[in-house]
Amino acid sequence: MTWVRRLLAIDRRIIFLLVATGVVLPLLHPLNLPVTVTPRVKAAFEAIDALPPGSKVLISMDYEPDIMAELMPMSIAVMRHCFRKHLQVIAMTLYPAGTGLGERAITVAAKAEGAVKNRDYAWLGYKSGNQVVMIGIGENLRGMYPVDFYGTPLDSIPVTRGVNSYRQMAMVVNLSGSSVTDYWIQFAQGRFHAPLVVGCTAVMATDYYPYLSSRQILGLIGGMKGAAEYEALIDTVGDARRGMDAQSLVHLIVVALVIVGNGALFLSRRSGDAGAPAAGSMTR
Amino acid sequence: MPVEGSTRGDRVDPTLAAVLRSGLVTQALDTRWFDPSRLNILIGVLLFTAFLIVNIFRARANADIYVRPIAGLKALDEAIGRATEMGRSVLYVPGLSDMSEVGTFAAITILYRLAQRVAEMGCDIDVPCYDPVVMTVLDGAVREAYSKVGKPDAFRPGCVHYVSAQQMAYVAAVNGFMLRELPAANIYMGSFYAESLRLAETGATTGAIQIAGTDKVTQLPFFVCACDYTLLGEELFAASAYLGREPVQLATIIAQDWAKAAAAAAVVTALALSALGNPALMKWLGAA
Amino acid sequence: MRRGPLLVTFLTGAAVAALYFIPHHTAQAVNSKLLEWTLVVYAFALILGSMSLWNNHARKVKNRAEGWGYSIVTLSSLVVITILGVWKGVGEGTPVGAIYDTVNSPLASTMFSLLAFVIASAAFRAFRARSVEATLLLITAIVMLVGRVSIGPIISPHLPGITEWLLDVPNLAAKRAIALGVGLGAVSTALKIILGIEQSYLGRS
Repeated sequence: MTWVRRLLAIDRRIIFLLVATGVVLPLLHPLNLPVTVTPRVKAAFEAIDALPPGSKVLISMDYEPDIMAELMPMSIAVMRHCFRKHLQVIAMTLYPAGTGLGERAITVAAKAEGAVKNRDYAWLGYKSGNQVVMIGIGENLRGMYPVDFYGTPLDSIPVTRGVNSYRQMAMVVNLSGSSVTDYWIQFAQGRFHAPLVVGCTAVMATDYYPYLSSRQILGLIGGMKGAAEYEALIDTVGDARRGMDAQSLVHLIVVALVIVGNGALFLSRRSGDAGAPAAGSMTR
Repeated sequence: MPVEGSTRGDRVDPTLAAVLRSGLVTQALDTRWFDPSRLNILIGVLLFTAFLIVNIFRARANADIYVRPIAGLKALDEAIGRATEMGRSVLYVPGLSDMSEVGTFAAITILYRLAQRVAEMGCDIDVPCYDPVVMTVLDGAVREAYSKVGKPDAFRPGCVHYVSAQQMAYVAAVNGFMLRELPAANIYMGSFYAESLRLAETGATTGAIQIAGTDKVTQLPFFVCACDYTLLGEELFAASAYLGREPVQLATIIAQDWAKAAAAAAVVTALALSALGNPALMKWLGAA
Repeated sequence: MRRGPLLVTFLTGAAVAALYFIPHHTAQAVNSKLLEWTLVVYAFALILGSMSLWNNHARKVKNRAEGWGYSIVTLSSLVVITILGVWKGVGEGTPVGAIYDTVNSPLASTMFSLLAFVIASAAFRAFRARSVEATLLLITAIVMLVGRVSIGPIISPHLPGITEWLLDVPNLAAKRAIALGVGLGAVSTALKIILGIEQSYLGRS
């Protein structure tokens, strides 16, 4: 059965075309699929929601353009929530390429909620050193950031006046797609006991479940789905909720391809056809 | 925020705590020479070191140590042989991390032993590097490997080369190499992140035999799906000892097993005691 | 002479390990300083890395190897961006910053986005019911693929709960077990290097 063999070895380009269609169509014609909120994202939301107005929240946006699709919507949603609750946001990044992204995120969130620079938020920009910066913030914020990104001394900014370490901050939110989150847990939470909420890419989210169980982190926002759930909680429709339509359709396409492939395998076995392309070790 | 001392659980003078909370005085006041909340980790490390030393002495006294076969490591010889027969190179990707990651050290130790076999078999090896410090270390290790088997002239300068410290630029370069040079064997050892599937899937399209090992648990499923053999977790760290077959090195694998057994026993004991109403051991294990 | 690097490794490794247990402010200041020194070492190694990159591509151009035109692009980019960076700086609003925002960032995002296509083709190849384990993987993958997106609750209201259970129980159990092994392996490797049992990073058995 040559058609069975063809099904077992579909040209990759056909698969790519199907995936491309699955991504583009919902972005052009939104499906507006509902979003179910999971307990971990709800915990992150409630941790921030419980803070009294005027509380200082340190948000570290440690990501670069390659993963901004998952983390930028998360950043915007969290900051919009903070601004709605009249929390004061001190934002920073540990990635050099994160400077433009972080500034863009805070500008978009501020514009949407009417937040004003220096009164409602401060953008500190990039500082290299990862662990050194985290320890430095715990000991002396002004030692790490004497001025903000725009050159204004921290003492001149209402948001950062009187803030010199984690002790004056009610919450630390780390949004990252790399192992820098481990350092935030180790230093900001482990050493300085700052309450910590984590946002990360979907593939990394399960790494942090143990920390959530042990209450080392108060909430976890994982991937675009987590960002979409957070957007749903703050009752907005952003890039994450729009992106979930595309992700849903692509997942269905992949499932359909897997079913087709296995159907073809079953038929080939029944017909005694031994030809089948090799695959990964689990399928040997 | 609750009043805190320098470490969780310590009783702190309220005046000192208030001063610390004001932020006017820094954490630099800490004058303790030992953090008691980390005693459990210290005991664990000392115990592990003791296991290591005991097994090294055992190995020196009796060199016959059994280590179960690991398919991925046995396949390394097959991969190098395949590359030699086909007249193509071996591509070794040492991961996308720097020298602060232990996975990188594992990649270096494996490459040192692998390069000796490559030199003996007479095929070529290419090692694109993500981090410049790692590149200098790997270059030295591969050169020494060639010298060790008596073929220093066979070392091709530039076989260990720096590509880029940007994740996706590195992946693009390595994928390009795979598609142009068509190496017969792709070996991925070290710390990998989101690029793991890109690398493995592109390698699969070229028909190369692929062997992977990473300490990053989140990337294991991708390697399992796309590679022919995958070293799971600690097998990566056991690999250098397995390949070298030196008794002292193999003894460290036994020490790891002893430590695992001790950890499992501690967890089970703590769970049992906790169920019986005494959570002290569980709290102590999780203190740090 | 041969013992020098081993002694440095032992002293530095043992010192940093000890500093983990010593919260004294002087000790932590030493720890922070050591971390800063690694940045200095990296900066020097970057020079060696750049030289390696230059030599590799220059050799390809000289030998007219396949794709040597791209090597010229690489070498030109290296020179131009280095000159621009030294001359005008590398922050926001500089030519290097503009090149990064308009060329580097979109390229990185594009490369990352290709993962979606690669995952689809890898899933099609790998998720085949060839054995009991593979069938288990296949079924779990399908449940997760459908249950983790917005369409899952529409197909069945139980799917989100099943996927959460799969992530919370069997996945987490296996992950913790592997993580324990990795942790012990990492400690073992680190101890071997500190104690000088493993010397392959110095090019010795």
